[in-house]
Amino acid sequence: MATSVTTPKLTTTFYKRLPITVPLSSHFLSLQNTLTPFSHNCCSLLYFQCQRRHVAARAKSDNGAELPSHYDFDLFTVGAGSGGVRASRFAANFGASVAICELPFSTISSETTGGVGGTCVLRGCVPKKLLVYASKFSHEFDESNGFGWKYGTEPQHDWSTLIANKNAELQRLTGIYKNILINAGITLIEGRGKIVDPHTVDVDGKLYSARHILISVGGRPFIPDIPGSEYAIDSDAALDLPSKPEKIAIVGGGYIALEFAGIFSGLTSEVHVFIRQKKVLRGFDEDIRDFVAERMSLRGIEFHTEESPQAILKSTDGSLSVKTNKGTVDGFSHVMFATGRRPNTKNLGLEKVGVKMTKNGAIEVDEYSGTAVPSIWAVGDVTDRINLTPVALMEGGALAKTLFQAEPTKPDYSAVPSAVFSQPPIGQVGLSEEQAIQEYGDIDVFTANFRPLKATLSGLPDRIFMKLVLCAKTNKVLGLHMCGEDAPEIVQGFAVAVKAGLTKADFDATVGVHPTAAEEFVTLRTPTRKIRKSPPSEGMTGPEVKAAAGV
Amino acid sequence: MARKMLNDGELSQPNQEEQTHFDFDLFVIGAGSGGVRAARFSANFGAKVGICELPFHPISSEVIGGVGGTCVIRGCVPKKILVYGASFGGELEDARSYGWEVHEKIDFDWKKLLQKKTDEILRLNGIYKRLLSNAGVKLYEGEGKIVGPNEVEVTQLDGTKLSYSAKHILIATGSRAQRAPIPGQELAITSDEALSLEELPKRAVVLGGGYIAVEFASIWRGMGSTVDLLFRKELPLRGFDDEMRAVVARNLEGRGINLHPRTTIKELIKSEEGVKVITDHGEEIVADVVLFATGRAPNTKRLNLKAVGVEVDQTGAVKVDENSRTNVPSIWAVGDVTNRMNLTPVALMEGMCFAKTVFGGQPCKPDYRDVPCAVFCIPPLSVVGLSEEQAIEQGKGDILVFTSSFNPMRNTISGRQEKTVMKLVVDAETEKVLGASMCGPEAPEIMQGIAVALKCGATKAQFDSTVGIHPSSAEEFVTMRSVTRRVAAASSNPKTNL
Repeated sequence: MATSVTTPKLTTTFYKRLPITVPLSSHFLSLQNTLTPFSHNCCSLLYFQCQRRHVAARAKSDNGAELPSHYDFDLFTVGAGSGGVRASRFAANFGASVAICELPFSTISSETTGGVGGTCVLRGCVPKKLLVYASKFSHEFDESNGFGWKYGTEPQHDWSTLIANKNAELQRLTGIYKNILINAGITLIEGRGKIVDPHTVDVDGKLYSARHILISVGGRPFIPDIPGSEYAIDSDAALDLPSKPEKIAIVGGGYIALEFAGIFSGLTSEVHVFIRQKKVLRGFDEDIRDFVAERMSLRGIEFHTEESPQAILKSTDGSLSVKTNKGTVDGFSHVMFATGRRPNTKNLGLEKVGVKMTKNGAIEVDEYSGTAVPSIWAVGDVTDRINLTPVALMEGGALAKTLFQAEPTKPDYSAVPSAVFSQPPIGQVGLSEEQAIQEYGDIDVFTANFRPLKATLSGLPDRIFMKLVLCAKTNKVLGLHMCGEDAPEIVQGFAVAVKAGLTKADFDATVGVHPTAAEEFVTLRTPTRKIRKSPPSEGMTGPEVKAAAGV
Repeated sequence: MARKMLNDGELSQPNQEEQTHFDFDLFVIGAGSGGVRAARFSANFGAKVGICELPFHPISSEVIGGVGGTCVIRGCVPKKILVYGASFGGELEDARSYGWEVHEKIDFDWKKLLQKKTDEILRLNGIYKRLLSNAGVKLYEGEGKIVGPNEVEVTQLDGTKLSYSAKHILIATGSRAQRAPIPGQELAITSDEALSLEELPKRAVVLGGGYIAVEFASIWRGMGSTVDLLFRKELPLRGFDDEMRAVVARNLEGRGINLHPRTTIKELIKSEEGVKVITDHGEEIVADVVLFATGRAPNTKRLNLKAVGVEVDQTGAVKVDENSRTNVPSIWAVGDVTNRMNLTPVALMEGMCFAKTVFGGQPCKPDYRDVPCAVFCIPPLSVVGLSEEQAIEQGKGDILVFTSSFNPMRNTISGRQEKTVMKLVVDAETEKVLGASMCGPEAPEIMQGIAVALKCGATKAQFDSTVGIHPSSAEEFVTMRSVTRRVAAASSNPKTNL
């Protein structure tokens, strides 16, 4: 699992590094390092604090390339999530003196709570996937019946055991993260960071100067303001509920909504999903959107399409009703909004120092993650580029190289794979069919829709859908999509191939691993359809398409 | 040539450019993976094709087989079904830590699984037959024999013999499990029987260190049996990367299989409590079932190859050139009977290349480089390309080894102590990834895409530039940043440009 920084195996992949000696830039800090090499803490920092202000004020230099000046740190990172930790660690490894601040730990984020590890570890990827694992067992019990397993009584799920074990794991991970920072020689400060000027950060009243400031404060769930929205929960709360929802309404059609729908459905809640549009997962390949909704419906999730909640009402028995444009659905124990996330840029002092933001509140950055203020940088969800942990890691790593290794590096957003841990899950890389048509005009599409071996025995109606989108002219694989068991694991290797610009012929030349689902990707022989935008003389027309498909 | 005993008046159409008249353009002996693939594709290219196969039964013999062959009836498919069945054992243990209250009393009904397995392979057997008939391939049930360079004789169930002439003959009769010549060997079973046992053995002894041995050990262990695995070497899975072999051994042990390295069986004795296994160390193990997974031999004995002059090697495998042609120009062979790389997808590739070469006007050779494969032990192992040892041995220069050993996220809550291990072997100079291996859940599924990248010569930099899918196990393959070790080529001296 897990990128290095997000999981347990960390302990095995990362060696303890000696604390980096702080470069010339700040003599008092190197002194501090010498004194307490392994135990940076707020108190020792406090001691040096008084001198900072005027140092910072003089430090007008912006590009960090010139003479060493007297900053407390080469880099001060605000926010210790995936992107911030990655950038800080790498910067420290490259020899920079680094401090990072983060809010106190809590499973629910707010203006005043967060925790080292950030969304991914505490309120995103990790806890979500743990709950997905838990919820998948109900399907596995069903499957196992078909394989001869029988249970004295139907297995029941105990919510509190799961949540307790999950939280113990999160505590462990946040501890590991802290250790990673400390072992890299980074000064970790608990508190809320605010930008005071281009080179100064205020953490709960204490000021720190830095040659570069990195903002990596991430995003937070957003609940639209409708009557009764105070009764609704967001994904933070949904990951840490005190008891299992009996009947839950999930509002939203994005990946978070689908993942929670799968989780609660697997843990035997009754699940209703309300989506504004006709289909789930806007932006994904249309075939995948249709397929996943159909599969999830078969597992008992009820989709209310083109139905937007307008109010949430609480009745006397405590149950919640959702009033929509189409009517009212009653009897919910919980209503969850998965209606998007917003960057955490409020009250950071950004406007004042001149950092520009989009109307959504995302920090505007250039290709190197630089903001409008030359000494201030931003990575991760707060920039609202591609909001994925591995992308934040890439941005953080690239920034560290740019700033401290004299190697200007742009994150590369082409062919970034991603997954939705719905049940069944989705994995994808590259362009959807629709995007490919837009960009390339002439494309060939190969699909497979099959019942996997496991399902033939289990008797469950599980199927797998796979799709390759090719450039008709070059045969290059532009997009690869899958919905079905193990899709996220399967797509990773193919992502290497797609990223490397491989062609369908390269896929075909690869021998299958038998018997697997994944081998279907290298044994797709007949195009499902050929789409031609160019004049018929160059491309194939309808009848020929049919002929080809019949071979 | 060709005297005929045709039932359906199936005289071949005179071929425009050929003066000789054959009953068939191609006659295939054996309807397993390779034979069916070759037959279907040859027919698609316009050839008139006949194929013969022995009658169906889960347990093969000289006179029993079945359309679909080893893969469908006695190999990949039933094996994987049992692996699925066995995997639930571990799942149930894990489920408890995730809050599931699973009743103490869990039953596993082996007979039910067996019945469903048989139903499934019968279904697939039917599908294969339909594939053939839809492609216009004429299927004969019976034993095929070669009586001349262009003549095949099929002995049907009732003893009647049919004789057909064919422009090309393809031998695709596969192979069969062998018993080791050990006193009491008749008390042991092979993988054929192991896939069809009446009862689930409470105590099983498995002899062998190959993939079949470790797979069955995992299957029975997962279903709750006591399993002892005996093998000659220090580690199981000879030929695989040594580091990964050690991982597999550790995992098998971790799942409760008793490993007996450097051990073989001296004798099997029937006793009241079961079969008594005497090892060469003088140890005694009593078992309900003793499985010999000690190798397979090509099915060439009754094909009459000698009479027509087709050469076989000392193991009985048909010798072929790189186009799968035997020394008799009209006779070809694909799949396990040639003992090249005994994997279903390889037989498919060979069958396909044969059809293209002979009937498609596109001469092509099967390419054995970077063929991925999987061992479905629990958890599984999957590899593509070179092992570390092979890379060193090939001695083209220094190699870089990247490894990652981690506790999969699922185990953090289940508490299962089982590391997933991944490994990349990289050419230090060219940066090309020479080999990838993984042992852990979903390894075979994960390796397929990695295989595409490897096959096309992807470099470590290309792996690194690929963004991870988070949180997955597979993402480790694209986030291995620090070299675990650098190893000099076997001969850092100039054996190089060989």
